[in-house]
Amino acid sequence: MMLNIDRRSLQSFDWVFFSIAAILVVFAFVNLTSATNSGVEGGVSDIVRRQGMVVALCSVVMLIILTIDYRHFERFAPLIYVASLLSLVATLIIAPETRGARAWLFEGRFQPSEFAKVALVLVLARHFHRNPPEAHAGLRQLIRPILIAAPPVALIVAQKDMGVALLTLLVAITFLPFVRITGSAWALIAVAGVGAMSALWSYGLRPYQQQRIFDFLDPERDPLSSGYQAMQSRIAIGAGGMFGRGWMEGTQTQLRFLPTQHTDFIFSVLAEEWGFVGSIMVLSLFLAMLLWGLWIATNSKDGFGALLAVGLVGTLFWPAAINIAMVLGLAPVIGVPLPLFSYGGSAMLSAFISLGLLLNISMRRYLF
Amino acid sequence: MNSGYRNGRLLGSGSQEISSARIGVIAVAIMLAFLTFSLRLFQLQIVEGADLRSRSEQNFVRTIRLEAPRGDIVDREGRVLASTRPAYRVQIIPNELHRGDRTFRALSQILDEAPGELARRVGQPTGRRRFQPVVLRGDLSYERFVQVESHRYALPGVVTNIGPRRHYVEGDLAAHLLGTIGEVGTRQLALPQFSDYDAGEIVGQFGLESQLEAHLRGRAGGRNLVVDVAGREIELLDEIKPIPGGRVVLTLDLDLQRVAEEAFRSTDPEVPDHMGALVAIDPTSGEILALVSLPAYDPNSFAGGIDSQTWEQLLSDPWKPLRNRALSGEYAPGSTYKAVIAAAGLAEGEITRDEEITCPGYYRMGRRIYRCWKRGGHGRVAMDVALKESCDVYFYNLGVRLGIDRIAHYARGFGFGSLTGIHLGAEKAGLVPTMEWKRRVKGEGWIKGETVSAAIGQGYNLVTPLQIAVAYAAIANGGRVLRPQLVKRLETWDREVLEIITPEERSRLPVSREILEILRDGLIAVVQGEHGTGARARVPGIVVAGKSGTTQVVSLDLVKGLEPEEIPMRYRDHALFVAFAPAMAPEIVVVALVEHAGMGGGKVAAPIVQKVLARYFEKHPRQPEVEETSVVLAQGSLPR
Repeated sequence: MMLNIDRRSLQSFDWVFFSIAAILVVFAFVNLTSATNSGVEGGVSDIVRRQGMVVALCSVVMLIILTIDYRHFERFAPLIYVASLLSLVATLIIAPETRGARAWLFEGRFQPSEFAKVALVLVLARHFHRNPPEAHAGLRQLIRPILIAAPPVALIVAQKDMGVALLTLLVAITFLPFVRITGSAWALIAVAGVGAMSALWSYGLRPYQQQRIFDFLDPERDPLSSGYQAMQSRIAIGAGGMFGRGWMEGTQTQLRFLPTQHTDFIFSVLAEEWGFVGSIMVLSLFLAMLLWGLWIATNSKDGFGALLAVGLVGTLFWPAAINIAMVLGLAPVIGVPLPLFSYGGSAMLSAFISLGLLLNISMRRYLF
Repeated sequence: MNSGYRNGRLLGSGSQEISSARIGVIAVAIMLAFLTFSLRLFQLQIVEGADLRSRSEQNFVRTIRLEAPRGDIVDREGRVLASTRPAYRVQIIPNELHRGDRTFRALSQILDEAPGELARRVGQPTGRRRFQPVVLRGDLSYERFVQVESHRYALPGVVTNIGPRRHYVEGDLAAHLLGTIGEVGTRQLALPQFSDYDAGEIVGQFGLESQLEAHLRGRAGGRNLVVDVAGREIELLDEIKPIPGGRVVLTLDLDLQRVAEEAFRSTDPEVPDHMGALVAIDPTSGEILALVSLPAYDPNSFAGGIDSQTWEQLLSDPWKPLRNRALSGEYAPGSTYKAVIAAAGLAEGEITRDEEITCPGYYRMGRRIYRCWKRGGHGRVAMDVALKESCDVYFYNLGVRLGIDRIAHYARGFGFGSLTGIHLGAEKAGLVPTMEWKRRVKGEGWIKGETVSAAIGQGYNLVTPLQIAVAYAAIANGGRVLRPQLVKRLETWDREVLEIITPEERSRLPVSREILEILRDGLIAVVQGEHGTGARARVPGIVVAGKSGTTQVVSLDLVKGLEPEEIPMRYRDHALFVAFAPAMAPEIVVVALVEHAGMGGGKVAAPIVQKVLARYFEKHPRQPEVEETSVVLAQGSLPR
């Protein structure tokens, strides 16, 4: 029976993981309220209200996921994968161009690429589960995983959504530690990686994206145009100091010197208003959540569950790491949202699906 | 459960299947990433925190300078000459200019200027200058200002404000006296007295604007505002109100000033306006009632920063409109000097009032002939007639008797050859030649013939119109050489009196009262007497004393044989006339100098003086005193 939560799995519900995620979501809400504060006394912006509805919807989706034994997802993984590919193709064909990319459906409300990541994790976990690495197997064993990962990445590149394309690629790479290959093979991968990077630089990146990388390397070069975002973000974070400027008190945020402060630069808002103490707290919660996810992997009863859990941790880790690195000026400005914190429905839903699946794996660790 | 394992080693629980060591690698990688983030946060928030905090404040706090309106300058009756009016300004704060091209395109439509030109003026400032507003338009019409203001929210980086701007109500009237203002220069900023000035600040550059800078300037205030990214003002943090500059009440009488300037104007459109200078002074106090220098300029053209074209024009104009001829124009005193020679002769006992000298129309010294202006000669003349008819030969004789050094001693006693001490700047001292001077400067000995020229105020002698006014004021007031004053009192902007300027006696004439009475009688005869050279200065009902003069511009040889109108303008003689009235109790001394008039002072300059005197006595009417004059004259008394 598919929809089934028995007593044991209910008893072993992972309250720790759930609590960490819940605290993060609540904190994210408080932060988003400040980031979108319209200045109206006691008023809550439309954005916060919409995000509230999104979270409510996501919670329902998560609840449904919990009722389905995760092993069913292994069976349906190819189907889900194909469905995600189809939605990417559909997006490419029918989506209008928004900010230079064709990545959104339904008037910008739905971003299929966000779900392609999860689908890829499912199908890769299934693949590695069914094809366990052989000793000194060489590069041959990488062929099929690459063939699996290539179509979604290529389609997202075609959408010109470089941030998500990069994320999807990184999520696939999360599985690399589980293949057994020789040192020379690793070297070959490294060479191929550098080759791919330079190819991406020359053909994949548009001038403004290249500009952003220059700006990253030298943020003071042109602080008024393209380096502006990175500079203002640094100023906001630094202005936070030890204890922050206080909720709704950050001048960079409230006077809107921060760029895209409710989406990509949401962490700068947090750092400005809650300071070093608040930022470290949120970072610690994020770290705890990810490490707990890995703990779920080690405690999973079966190989698929463990592989899936690691992959899901990857879907949460990579966007978080890239976003925070970008906001802190450690990486170029790449349009990647911070999971749970940035405003946006698709990313939120994708994150909740990952969380739901992780909880799913965790609560069924004693089942068989 | 589904099991596709072919390798028994991997059978069993999931954790063993994928090896917890590999997961450990991932965990360590994740932890390292978060450690990096924490360290970076520490660096930004703790190490660089204070610095970045202040940069965020630079972002959102905009300090607006509230300029203090410059103090008003008013005439002795409170009529405004220089004031401050609102000027509508459009500025750019480069730091807040996010999409410059768009902003400049929009502004160019309102301001009617090419976007590239606007962008060029803003440039690409770096460092702190990014936060300093660049003025795009300093004096916008109200309609355009409203247009900019209503589009301002769509134009980040654009700031509008209303600032004070100097306004000279009477245009070019008394321009040289008021002076000009302008932005403080980079060289000025290096001087200690400008240590509390900011670049771009307005400062008095010439004239009273410069002399009274400290009083007129006031103290600028400031306002700290919280602004958002679009430059919208969100909140006022604090404000220091500016203190307006102080008010200056001049000794000047606007009516006399106006009459004086108009008197130089030509009524015939074919004939250009006269150039020259005029000084009217109160001999009892040294207060200047009118001070004219023509041609003039409009100080308003400096108020908003003068454009280079106008400036070049003013600088290259051959008639030098920027020079204040009244105190930096140096001219030969001509016959106005004769009063000095007469005083010296009487004081040194070289002549008496009644001694007669024969004028055959020329004076011979060695082989040279010095002519009297009257070809046929004056015959036997005593001092009264010599002054009245300005007999040159009488004074040639007297000058030679005195010798140049004694003449110089008395000339200095009358205030020539040194600054009058007027607080207006750029004053010239003129020149009183002596034998020693000639040896030192020219490297030659004094020639006796030069004394002859000096005796009628030609030759090396140079004086300013103001010096003549001060000297004749001393004759008129009984011997006191006064410092000419332009300012009656200094007040705060709300008219609390700070300082009242009192008359200042700088020295006394080196001659007795009796001698001054003799001079006065002679000068009265110049105007009131029959055949006097100053008859055109007569004012009905008032006894006027005066002296005409003509200043040679070039030696007579150059213009020999030419009819007056054939002589090129720049070679024509200057005309001088000085007068005081009422002669018995003088209240006003007027000196007029008409450059290149080509005619004697009695013809051209005396009527100008007359108009000023007439206006003065129109304002200060009195009982006719012509009848009394003889009585007073007989008593020989002098005022005070």
